[in-house]
Amino acid sequence: MINPSNSYLYFFGCVIPNRYPGIEYAVRWVTGKDGFNLDVKDSQEFSCCPVPGIFYSTDKDTWLLLASRNLVLAQDERRQILTVCNGCLASLLKATEYLQEPKSMGKVNRVLAQIGKKYTGVPVRTEGKRRVFEPVKVRHYVELMVKDFGLDAIKEKTMHPLKNIRVAVHYGCHYLRPTEHATFEDPNDPVMIDNIVKACGATSVDYEDRLDCCGAGGGVRSHVVDLANALTLDKCAKISTAGADCIVTGCPFCLLQFDNAQKSLSKDGIPVMHVAQLQALAMGIDPISLGFDTHHVSAHSFLRKLKGY
Amino acid sequence: MKEVEKVFIGGLKEELMEDKVIDESQLAPGFAEEIKKYGGKDVMTCLQCGNCTGVCPISLKIDYKTRNIIKCCQFGLKKYILSTRWVCATCYRCYEHCPADLNPAEIMIALRHIAVREGIIPPFVKTAATNLVKYGQSVRPDEEIDKIRRELGLKPVHTHDPSFKSVIREIQVLVHASKYDKLIGIQEEVKV
Repeated sequence: MINPSNSYLYFFGCVIPNRYPGIEYAVRWVTGKDGFNLDVKDSQEFSCCPVPGIFYSTDKDTWLLLASRNLVLAQDERRQILTVCNGCLASLLKATEYLQEPKSMGKVNRVLAQIGKKYTGVPVRTEGKRRVFEPVKVRHYVELMVKDFGLDAIKEKTMHPLKNIRVAVHYGCHYLRPTEHATFEDPNDPVMIDNIVKACGATSVDYEDRLDCCGAGGGVRSHVVDLANALTLDKCAKISTAGADCIVTGCPFCLLQFDNAQKSLSKDGIPVMHVAQLQALAMGIDPISLGFDTHHVSAHSFLRKLKGY
Repeated sequence: MKEVEKVFIGGLKEELMEDKVIDESQLAPGFAEEIKKYGGKDVMTCLQCGNCTGVCPISLKIDYKTRNIIKCCQFGLKKYILSTRWVCATCYRCYEHCPADLNPAEIMIALRHIAVREGIIPPFVKTAATNLVKYGQSVRPDEEIDKIRRELGLKPVHTHDPSFKSVIREIQVLVHASKYDKLIGIQEEVKV
C-alpha cells in the first residue's frame, strides 16, 4: 500500500488563473525546479472548489457533491491538494470533514456513481484484511511552505533580501477560522505569513485591527459591493497609517477585494500581492513575470523601492 | 458610508423595533426547527450576550446586528429575517466568541438556504451557478487575461481545453441530481 506521499496537485481555483495569472506564475516558479522543487503537477479535471459563499450558502448537498468530485481526483492520484486560496482551502477542507461521516459519504457516493466516481479517502495501510483510509489532505501554500520547508530554507533561497520593504500582512478569515478546520495557527495571533515576509528580508509592520476581514467574503462583495468596499478602505487607511509599502496576503479573493476597492481612491492605492509573488521577488525573479499589470493598483512605487531591479 | 447605512436601516430595524407591537400572525412557528434542518444549531440556546455582534465586522459598520437576527429567529419572525440582505461575510469571528457554541455564521447560512427555497435568490448566486455549469468555474473567463497568460508563458487555463467538456458534463449531472438547477432556476443551462 502506498503511503500518501509528499506529492501534490496544484489547485489554483477560479480567481488566480482568470484574474491574477502572475500569482500562478509565482507559485509555479517558487515550487518548481528553480525553487523548492516540489513533486507537484496539474490536474486537467479540477473544477471550482466550489466557492463557499455561493454553494455552501445555498445548498450544502450540491456543494459537497462538487467538492467531493475534486477530492476524488486527488485521491485517485494519491496526491495532496495544494491550494493557493483561502476559499478553496475552506471549501475542500470542510468537505473532507463532512465525508468523515459514513452516512454523508454514502449519500455522496450514490450520486457520484452516476459519473463513475467514488470517494473513499486515501488507503494508508491494512489492518488484517481491512484497509484503513485517511481523508484526502488539503494544504494551503503558506502552511506548506512554513511546515514542510521551514523558514531557514526560505531564507536560504532569498537571493535578493527585500531589505527596505515594509509589508502589511493580511491573513484573511478562512485561513484562520473556523478553527476546527484550519488548525495550523492561533487564530488570534497568526504568524506564518509574517515569518515568510521576514525570511524574505522584508519588515512586517504591525497595524491596527490587522486580523479584520477584507469585507468581501460570503457573497458580500457580489451582493453589496459598497459595504464590502467600505470595510476594505477602513483597513487600507489603517495600513496606510502604519506606512506600509504593500499588502501581502495568502488569498487571491482578499487580494482582488483590496485591489478593486482602492480603485475609488483619489490618491495612489497600496499595491497588493500574494505571498508567493513576494517570495518569488526575494528569490530573484524578474518582476515582469509576476503579472503586476493585471493588478488595478500599480505596483510601480513598490518596485521602484526595490533596489537592484 | 452614509448611503450604505441608509439602505440597511430599512427592513429590520424600522419595521420591527419601532412598531414595537408584533402581530401574532407574523410569527412562523417551527422556524427554529427549520433552521436546524439546514444545519444551524438551536437558536433557542442563544443567551443574547451580544459577543457575536461585538466582533462582527459588519455589525460594527452598519445597522445589521447579529444578535437581533438571532432574536428574530427565536421569535419566528421569518418574514423579516428573509427580507434582510445577505451581508454576513462568513468570517466566523462570532463562532469563535459564542459562549453558547451556537455558531451564528452557520445560522446565517441556514437562513440563506431557507431564503432560496422561498424563491429569494440574489442575482449573483444565479450568475455564479451559471458560470459553474458553463465554464466549470464560478468566475467568467477573460480574454485579456488569457492574452497576458500567453505573454507570461503560462499554458491556457485548463478549463478552455476541449477535453474539459467531459468535466462540464459531470458537473451538470451532479447539479441536476441534487436538483440545484431547478432550485436556482438555471435549468436551461443544464443539458443532461
